[in-house]
Amino acid sequence: MTPRKQPPPESPSDIRRRTHVILSFWLIILFLGLPIWWWTTTIYRARLPLQEMLEWADGKACRPVFPLRISIQANSLQEQEAQNLLRLTQHALDDLNDFSGHHLRLQLSPPSSDAKQTHDSGSALTIRLIPGETTTATLDPLEPVLDITYPPNAIPLPTSSSSTLATYVAAQLRSTFAEEQATISYLLSTNAIPSEHRPQGLSPEAAESLSKRTTRSLKYAPTYHLTFSLFTSGPLPSSWDIEAAIDEYMKPVLDVLSPIHNFTIDTQVQLYATPGVQNQVLNKEDLSSFINAAEWPLSPSIGGAPTINFIVFVGNQTIAAASQSPEDASGSESSAAHSWLIPQWGTVYLLSLPLDVTHLSVASLKQPLLTFTSHLLSLTGTPQSGSLPLRLSTLARIRSADLLLRASSTLGSLARLALALPSISIPRSVADGVAKTMAHLRLACETLGGAEGLAHARIAEAEAERAFFEKSMVGQLYFPDEHKIAVYLPLLGPVAVPLVLGLINELKAWSKRRREMAKRGEEKKRE
Amino acid sequence: MDGGKVTLGRTAGLYIGAAVLRLAIFTLLPGLPDLLTGRVEISTPVTSFKRLQEGLFLYNHNVSPYDGGVYHQAPLFLPLFSLLPSFATYPIFTYLLYIAVDLLNARALWRIANSGEAGSSALFTSPRREKRWSGFVIAAVFLFNPFTVATCIGRSTSVFTTCAILHAIAKAVSGAPLGAMVALSFASYLSMYPLLLLPPLLLLCYDRQRPERAVKSSLAFASIHVSIVAGVLALLFQMSYLITGSWEFLPSTYGVQLTLSDLTPNVGLWWYFFIEMFDSFRSFFLAVFWLHLSCYVGGLSVRIRRQPLVVLTLLLGIIAIFKPYPSISDTSLFLAMVPLYRHVFPLMRYSFVIAAVIMYATFLGPAFYHLWIYAGSGNANFFYAITLVWGLGQSLLVCDLMFAVLRDEWEVERPEMVGKEIRQI
Repeated sequence: MTPRKQPPPESPSDIRRRTHVILSFWLIILFLGLPIWWWTTTIYRARLPLQEMLEWADGKACRPVFPLRISIQANSLQEQEAQNLLRLTQHALDDLNDFSGHHLRLQLSPPSSDAKQTHDSGSALTIRLIPGETTTATLDPLEPVLDITYPPNAIPLPTSSSSTLATYVAAQLRSTFAEEQATISYLLSTNAIPSEHRPQGLSPEAAESLSKRTTRSLKYAPTYHLTFSLFTSGPLPSSWDIEAAIDEYMKPVLDVLSPIHNFTIDTQVQLYATPGVQNQVLNKEDLSSFINAAEWPLSPSIGGAPTINFIVFVGNQTIAAASQSPEDASGSESSAAHSWLIPQWGTVYLLSLPLDVTHLSVASLKQPLLTFTSHLLSLTGTPQSGSLPLRLSTLARIRSADLLLRASSTLGSLARLALALPSISIPRSVADGVAKTMAHLRLACETLGGAEGLAHARIAEAEAERAFFEKSMVGQLYFPDEHKIAVYLPLLGPVAVPLVLGLINELKAWSKRRREMAKRGEEKKRE
Repeated sequence: MDGGKVTLGRTAGLYIGAAVLRLAIFTLLPGLPDLLTGRVEISTPVTSFKRLQEGLFLYNHNVSPYDGGVYHQAPLFLPLFSLLPSFATYPIFTYLLYIAVDLLNARALWRIANSGEAGSSALFTSPRREKRWSGFVIAAVFLFNPFTVATCIGRSTSVFTTCAILHAIAKAVSGAPLGAMVALSFASYLSMYPLLLLPPLLLLCYDRQRPERAVKSSLAFASIHVSIVAGVLALLFQMSYLITGSWEFLPSTYGVQLTLSDLTPNVGLWWYFFIEMFDSFRSFFLAVFWLHLSCYVGGLSVRIRRQPLVVLTLLLGIIAIFKPYPSISDTSLFLAMVPLYRHVFPLMRYSFVIAAVIMYATFLGPAFYHLWIYAGSGNANFFYAITLVWGLGQSLLVCDLMFAVLRDEWEVERPEMVGKEIRQI
């Protein structure tokens, strides 16, 4: 056997040609591939003010303080006497108050002759001091005005350091604002506010009742969708004057709530609707399964806004008296036996009608709608004590505090997310959203308690939510670095092997040629 | 067979036969053209005749043709097709246009074949060149190739690109570099990817210059002709701007090819990959795929410098496999060029496997697509698997042709090795 014939040496032109081929591939990789790789896969991280964001979340940036101005109107008192009474009452209030965040500040309003123009909009409450027989206090049902009558001898002397009237006024004020104070302290205590700002002495029972009320009301949303549904067990009635009835009975409350929420409304009528429970008399357990979720067209939410359902059910069913819990009967007495509130969902009103009624008039809808209105207030989290104007203004303050805390904690979550995932991209829009949120939070913090503060808090909360739920970030929430190997390797690995091996072979051959050249040169020299 | 001996009668017979076959299909099977137009193997988002109709309708109603997001083809098609009598009332004129384009393609191929460039280029003469097919046979293979016929019946607008590419090559081999550059500019304007053919086409033009007015400096030659291409392209873009009134056509035609925004399935390898791709890596892998497509140009041009027509043929094959929206029309162009290398067919090692794989994919592809889309008993993987086989068949052909051509060159250097087994190291 002859030994294997060695191939003849490659010609220099072949070697040069191979070098050029390998170079042509590597030039494309180096001058096009690498820049493109760098350019398309670098993660854009907008700079976020992380420290400030965390401060907001920890409650260090803003201490929620509600300075409530209370004007005292004492037309029948001398200026001097009134000032004195005010000073004493303020003292008594300060002694009673243990929560610095919620502060009542008294002021004397100039005596006005016009009895109608009693309340000025800058203050939360006006106290009208009226001389009378005994010491009494009544809340005006239409305006945030507290009427206090006092016997003539109750006026404190300028020299005295205490006065029963002053103490009485202070106690009245405190009880009026007790619920608001408790709610706000509850809000602060459930959020990450450092303990020194946190009010003391929120009793466990109070906390429990507040948490119960919070679970009953809907989660805050800038817009609620109200659905009014008429379900009838038979063919009649088939029409209702719901629009007129809403305008008449519900619109005023919706208007008052409009700085806090927007409302959209739709209505529907469904005949021959079967409830989930067929019993003639409904027990407490039946109430929760009365809604026939499978058949009634009650969509969970339309257009993204949470829906509040108000259902008028025309049938002959009644509620067993024992099942009425005192809380549910918060409406007027006559509605007690007809309606119940479903937490975070809405209200059902049972209406029994004579069989031949074909059309529900505005008048027959009055009672259901009044019930719905009062339930709407508790569903939106309105406090329950006090007169309506006071309850609504309290709701505005509670909401601003709530939104402020919510936006702050969202900022904190975003900051922690940005710190925890160094490879997540942060688009410019998120940084813009954070900047806007902080600007509005600062404004809201300064004007807390007023309408302006509420508006700023609403914008801040909306912006914070938008920044946090940025679409391009959510997708990357879980994308560890190991995944990148799985992304790059399957395609680029096989491509890289021949390219890298070709380059290595070429470099080896080149260095070998150089060594041989050097050797040959030396040999030549030696010769 | 010798091209010169083919009588005029035979030539006319071939063309008439091809035209009659197409016309017969158009008229006797009126449902078939529309069926083929809807097939993903023939119509891609950037070549579909249906989408052209949509763009034409918008254009004739003075709405920007790109408004619907359906039309992704060059704006100059619109005035061309508006000049024809309306397709709805006189479809025969459109049919005749497509038939004429196919015949022009065949004529260009004929000229390429008769030039003998495939067997003996300026720098290399194959010892086997005598064993070749005449232009008549090559034109006949092209005209009666089922892929070509199906493309013509499906009225895919890629036939115009094919026409421009074939004429660019024909001009180049007949020593008319100016005509070649203008034709290539038209091809690039219509489909963008033919721009990748510019380097080997420049080499071909340089090698086949007429001696009486040859530019000796290769650098000067290249710069003159690159600027011709740039100038013609600028002129075409300006005309398109005047027609549509805005530069909107650039992102709608070339942008769609670059970013693959329309993920309609096709016989290529891109769509499935980019359906599955993570969004954050999409732009990177788009760049990788385009770089992959273009990185062969330099290597092949350097390696097979002595036979630029081979480079063009191989690139057409590679493009038909790896371009973003391929169709069988691209394959038919590649298959039209392959018979020019009849003389190296004996050196090919896998002809049977290649033929089998391509036939297999041709028959199973439509069946799997039907299973996925219409029967619902398969899924996207079925169709993607068969397009992988289709790509495999074509890449085998590309590799084998390249091997055969290189072996042909090598046997000239090493005459003692003719006919012996070799092993690649």
